[in-house]
Amino acid sequence: MAIVATTSRFSKIAWPTLAWVVALIFFFPIFYMVLTSFKTDADAVKPEFLFSFTPTLENYANMTENYDYWRFATNSVITSVLATLFALAVGVPCAYAMAFNPSRATKDVLMWMLSTKMLPAAAVLYPMTFLTKNVFGVFDTHFLVILVLCLINLPIVIWMLFTYFKDIPKDIIEAGKMDGLTTWGEVKEILIPLAWGGIVSTALLTFIFCWNEAYWTVRLTTIDAATLSKLIEGNRAPEGLFFGRLSAVSTAAVGPIIVLGWFCQKQLVSGLTFGAVK
Amino acid sequence: MANRTIPRLLQTPAVLLLLVWMLVPLGMTLFYSFIRYVLNSTVRPEWTTPSWSNWRGFGNYEFVLNSKDFLFAIKNSLFIVGSILSLTVVLGVLIAVLINRSFPGRGIVRVLLISPFFVMPAVNAVLWINMLLDPVLGLQGIAVGAINDMAAGMQDAPLVGWFFNLWPVLEPISFRATQTSAIAVIMMVTWQWTPFAVLIFMTSLQSEDQQQKEAAVLDGASRWSQFRFLTLPHLGRPMAIVVMIQAIFHLSLYAEIEIVSRGNGNKNLPYLIGEFTNNNIGAASATGIFAVILANIVAIFLLRAVGKTLME
Repeated sequence: MAIVATTSRFSKIAWPTLAWVVALIFFFPIFYMVLTSFKTDADAVKPEFLFSFTPTLENYANMTENYDYWRFATNSVITSVLATLFALAVGVPCAYAMAFNPSRATKDVLMWMLSTKMLPAAAVLYPMTFLTKNVFGVFDTHFLVILVLCLINLPIVIWMLFTYFKDIPKDIIEAGKMDGLTTWGEVKEILIPLAWGGIVSTALLTFIFCWNEAYWTVRLTTIDAATLSKLIEGNRAPEGLFFGRLSAVSTAAVGPIIVLGWFCQKQLVSGLTFGAVK
Repeated sequence: MANRTIPRLLQTPAVLLLLVWMLVPLGMTLFYSFIRYVLNSTVRPEWTTPSWSNWRGFGNYEFVLNSKDFLFAIKNSLFIVGSILSLTVVLGVLIAVLINRSFPGRGIVRVLLISPFFVMPAVNAVLWINMLLDPVLGLQGIAVGAINDMAAGMQDAPLVGWFFNLWPVLEPISFRATQTSAIAVIMMVTWQWTPFAVLIFMTSLQSEDQQQKEAAVLDGASRWSQFRFLTLPHLGRPMAIVVMIQAIFHLSLYAEIEIVSRGNGNKNLPYLIGEFTNNNIGAASATGIFAVILANIVAIFLLRAVGKTLME
C-alpha cells in the first residue's frame, strides 16, 4: 500500500521552483562564460552590454591566432585518447583475471592499486621532473603525458572494469572453455561483447579525467606536448583586457567534455567512489 | 591448479607498471628527504648532486617543521579543505533532498547541476577569478557598481531618499590578496564539487527504505523528524565517503592555487613543494613525505570503507 504524502499546493510549487533556482545558479558561471565568449573583448567588460549586446563569432574565429588553440586541443585529444586506450589495454586483461580467477590476494592487490591513486602527486614532483628531464629525456613529449595519464587513471580503470566483469555469470566463461576457446578467445568472444557497455563508460570517464588533469600536464610539459590545461593556466591573468577571447577558448576547452559528462553521470558515481556508494 | 599462470600473466603488466610508478619516484623522494640537496649553491657545490655523503638525517624535516611557510601551508591546506568539505556536504545534502522528488524538468535540473563538475580546474579558476570575482571588470565589480549607482540615484527621491542617503557606498572585495584568495579558491572548488556530493547523495537516497518512511508517516512523524531520524542516518556512510574522497583530492589541490594565488602568499602543501623544488630539493622532499603521511591518514579510512563493499 502506498501512502500518498499530504502535500500542500504551496510545497508542490515552491520546492520545484527552488530546485530550478538552485540549478540555474550553479549553471550560471558556465552560462556567463559562454555568453561572454560571443562578446568582443571591449564589450565584455562594459556593464551596459551585460546581457544585451551584438553577438560576434570573432573570438572563435581568432582562436588559432590568439592562442594557437588547435595545437593544444590536438595535444589534449591525442594524449587523452591514447592514454585511455592504453589504460584499457592494460586494465581489461588485469580486471578479467581478477574477476574470473580471483585468488586470495586479489582483494589486497585491488586495494593496493587504489592506494597508489591516493598518493599526492606533488610529493614526487622533483623525482618525476629529474627522471623525465635528465635520465630518460622524455620531458615535454606526448609519450610522457600519455604514460602518466594512463598510470594515474589505471587504478580507477581496473576497479571499474572489475565491478562490471564480476557481474557476468562465471558459467558463461566456463561454457566457453568447454567449447575450446582460448583465453584470448574468451575475452574477445564473450567478455568484450557482454561487458561492452561497462567498457565504454569506463573509457568515457577515463577520457574526461585525462582531459581535465591539471597537475602533471602543467608541470611536465612546456610547449610540444602542452595540453589545454597548460594553455588556460598560462593565460591566468588577462588583466580584464581579453575576457571575450579567453571565454571563447575556455568554452571550446570544456564544452565537449561537459556534454560528454552528461552521458556518464551514473558511471561517475561508481567510478569515483570505488563502488562504496550504491 | 595448473591454470593459475595465465591469470597471473594477465595481471603482471598492470601490477608492474603501478609498482614502478609508485616505488621509484617515492623512493627517490624518501632518499632526497634525508640528504642535503640544493640545485644552486656556489658555496657548497657538493650539495648540488644527490649522494649518500650529503646525509643529513632528519635535518630537512627539522628545517621544514621550523619554517613559517610550512606551518602556514599546513594550516591553510586544512582551512581550505575543511571549508570545502563542510560546504559541499551541507549543500549536497540539502540539494539532494530538494531534487529527490518528481517535478517537471527534473532531468534538465540534474544536467544543469552536474555540469560544473566537468569543467577543467584551470578553466574553473580563470573563469572565477577574472570574469566573476574581479573587483572592477568581473561580475562582482559590475554588481557592486550597479548597486552603488542605484543608491546614488535614489538619494533625491521623495520619502525614501533619507534611507539611501544613509546607505553606505559598497566597496568591491579584491580576491587576489592572501586570505581573500583562499576564500576565492574555496568558492570555486565548492562550486565544482557540490554537484559531486549531490550526485552521490541522490544515488544513496534512491535506495532509502520507503516502507520505513511510510511507517513513519503513519505514525505521524513530521517532515523534519523524518529527515533527522531516517534520511540523515541513511546518508551517514555516503557522507563519510564524500568527505574522504574529497579530502584526498583537495589536499593535492594545485591548479586553482597556482592560478588564483601565484606569488601572493596563499599557499597549500603542493604549492609549497613546488616553491621548494625551485632550489631546495631536500626540503621539498621532506614536505612531500609530510603530504604523503597526511593523505595516508585519510586514505586508510577510505580504503577500509571501500574494502567492505569491494567483494560483495
